[in-house]
Amino acid sequence: MHWIRVSFAMLCLLAPAGYAMAQADDALAYETIEPVRIKLGESATLRVTSFSRLKAFALPSVSGLVFEEIRRSDGFDFINGAAIPAKFILIRVTPQFAGVFSIPGLTPNSRPIGLEVVNGDEPDPYTWRSQQPAPPPVPSVALPKGVQLQARGAAFVHLAIPTRAIYVGESVPVDVDVGLRPGIVTSVNGLPALKGSDFTFDNPSKQPERREESIEGSTFVVLTWHGALAAVKPGDFSLSAQAPLTVKMSSLSATDQAVASRLAWPLLQNLYNGIAPRDLTIESSASRLKVLPLPTEGQPENFSGAVGEFRVSSDAAPARVAAGEPLTLRLHISGAGNFDRVHSTMLDHLDHWKTYPAKSSFTPSDAVGYQGEKVFEQPLIAAQPGEQSIPGLEFSYFNPNTRRYERAQTPPITVTVTTSLAGGSLDALAGAPSPNGAAPTGSARGLRPDHPPARESVGDLRPLYFRVSFLAVPATLALILAGSGFAVRPGAARATSKAAERVLAQLDAAARAGDSSSFFEAARTALLRTFAARWQMPAEQITVAELKARLGTTGEDVERLLVLAEEARYSHDRPGGTDFQRWLGLIRGQLAGERE
Amino acid sequence: MRASKTSIPMLILIFGLAPWAGPAFAQASPPRYSADALYNLANSYARAGKPGLAVLCYERAALLAPDDADINANLEYVRASAHVAVKARGRFARLVQAVNPTTAAWLGVLGVALVGTALLARRIAPRSRWLPGGGIVLGIALIALTACNAMLLWPRMHEAVVLVDQTPARVSPVPMADTAFVLREAQSVTMTAEHEDFILIRSSGGLSGWVARANLGAVVPPVGAER
Repeated sequence: MHWIRVSFAMLCLLAPAGYAMAQADDALAYETIEPVRIKLGESATLRVTSFSRLKAFALPSVSGLVFEEIRRSDGFDFINGAAIPAKFILIRVTPQFAGVFSIPGLTPNSRPIGLEVVNGDEPDPYTWRSQQPAPPPVPSVALPKGVQLQARGAAFVHLAIPTRAIYVGESVPVDVDVGLRPGIVTSVNGLPALKGSDFTFDNPSKQPERREESIEGSTFVVLTWHGALAAVKPGDFSLSAQAPLTVKMSSLSATDQAVASRLAWPLLQNLYNGIAPRDLTIESSASRLKVLPLPTEGQPENFSGAVGEFRVSSDAAPARVAAGEPLTLRLHISGAGNFDRVHSTMLDHLDHWKTYPAKSSFTPSDAVGYQGEKVFEQPLIAAQPGEQSIPGLEFSYFNPNTRRYERAQTPPITVTVTTSLAGGSLDALAGAPSPNGAAPTGSARGLRPDHPPARESVGDLRPLYFRVSFLAVPATLALILAGSGFAVRPGAARATSKAAERVLAQLDAAARAGDSSSFFEAARTALLRTFAARWQMPAEQITVAELKARLGTTGEDVERLLVLAEEARYSHDRPGGTDFQRWLGLIRGQLAGERE
Repeated sequence: MRASKTSIPMLILIFGLAPWAGPAFAQASPPRYSADALYNLANSYARAGKPGLAVLCYERAALLAPDDADINANLEYVRASAHVAVKARGRFARLVQAVNPTTAAWLGVLGVALVGTALLARRIAPRSRWLPGGGIVLGIALIALTACNAMLLWPRMHEAVVLVDQTPARVSPVPMADTAFVLREAQSVTMTAEHEDFILIRSSGGLSGWVARANLGAVVPPVGAER
């Protein structure tokens, strides 16, 4: 009995609290419809936001309006700058005829919502109140096929690439769309990037295009980057795009979020929800791309790798030029494709013309350089007057649409080249009679063309060999060489050899004259000097014993020669029977032995 | 031992030349005259109907590039158009002047070095006769080439071009002096003396007279003169 009383008392105490909770559940929900004014044939989105449990409710019934539930989702709603966990129900409202409709509240305490449906471009009666034009309504679009919301519905990324197969080297435009829910995604931390190493993503636009779209009842800011994609090798590839973001997200688990949603009071939820900014990278779904190799069959010789659709034209300016004066030949290549591979050497050689290397410039007509015009400019100088024809220029490329190589050719250009000095006073001089009455000897060829810009220059017109500063170079060189010649003494062997030659010549002369005294005296002196040098001893210390010991049997002949020399010195005898040739042979042998 | 004997003179040679070679190279590089720029300037003068200035610039360009066919052809053409006698170059002159004067100058230095080195080598190693002998012959040939190049260019150091048509050559260096003969524009003359604002010239026909300095353009301007 006691327990019954206690239980009844507690039920009485809790009943008001339960009623309050139920009342709070009903009060924490509201509905909005966007836009409030639509044309017949369009749809509006009715959005129910609930901060508590959603009770089962039935779609309203309004004559002339068709209601269709799109989806239910969990997310956050921002109240006074604070993110509150909420549940959303999106309902598509499609009118069947024009008029002003009142949609009753879907929750018990909500107010009816008005929707105006007009037939066509009728003026909005509410815009007169504002001097500013009304902002355009945010278009309601569906997510592209295969794209899913990420970061708990706060963002998405979509990579738009061609569905057809592309060729190696071909440049194709791609778009990267990044959708962001403002307020939840706080920043985009860099340019989106492609995931895959077999492609190059060129010229992504620094500033993306920005637009607002309503997707599944929520307003998204969609940023679109344009770029050009090129494959470096053939094959089947999977490609996706990534974008780094900072998103305000709850750090709570799903269970904790469910508890927070039951707190029935936004302030308490705010204290409990644990919302914090978080860096993350979202990635698009993978797209398949087939890359084909360029066919080798039928590839032109001058194919430079250009793939796309191009048109060519050429012109030359001025059309009338004097010989020796430059004109500019231009080749215009316009269209769409990989312009970085569009090359042309223009004219390498042209008879009667002087050709110079061409320069090119590219003017894109889109943000990524996929479409535009590339202009090649080549200076030409005519060397011969008359009507000159500049041949047409050819450009080869691969057309991915026709899947074959194509050659584009420009028609020839006719240029009138006048004589070089036409109109000048020199021409008049050439036509005037010469002082001696002879016919003018000037050639009708005209001036030869100008030269390219100078590369080398000097400070003085005088040749080097007429400058004192330069003449000092060979002079100093000669002095140094002469000094070196004096510094380098001839070798001792060479000096001895020359002395021996002189002695032999002297002996020859004495022998021819039959002067035995001079012959033997000179022979004695030369031999003693030779032996002294060879044996490293003074000549006066050379004795007969020394000669025999060092020369052996030859020493006896040498001794005999020295004795004859002594006799000839003191007797001044002139023996007629002296065998000069024998003694000369002996002496030559000794001197030669010294040289070796 | 022999290597040390030869390396010492070579070191002396290299270090002895270094102070001279540096300034000589440095003086050859100030960017003021260029054969192509002078040639293009001469073409501009020719097109503007100024044969005197055109011939002067062609002559200056020919000094730097004597074997340039364009320069010689245009020089001949402009002179012919102005009815000025054209001096034909002989085969020997064409052969010798096929070498650029700057190149010829350095070839001469190379010739001196070859001759000196060959003599030195003969003194050091008397038995090797052919190599030094060849060096001497080659060196002398290079020196001769340079000398011929210089001799052919020497008269042009004193040449001038008449810049004004009907320029009077006077009998004395005063403005009021009698006119001895008249010179045509673009005519080349030889300068032999100067007095104040007049220059004594000798024409190709052997006539001499005083011409106002302003009416002449020296092919090789004096150092520091305004171009």
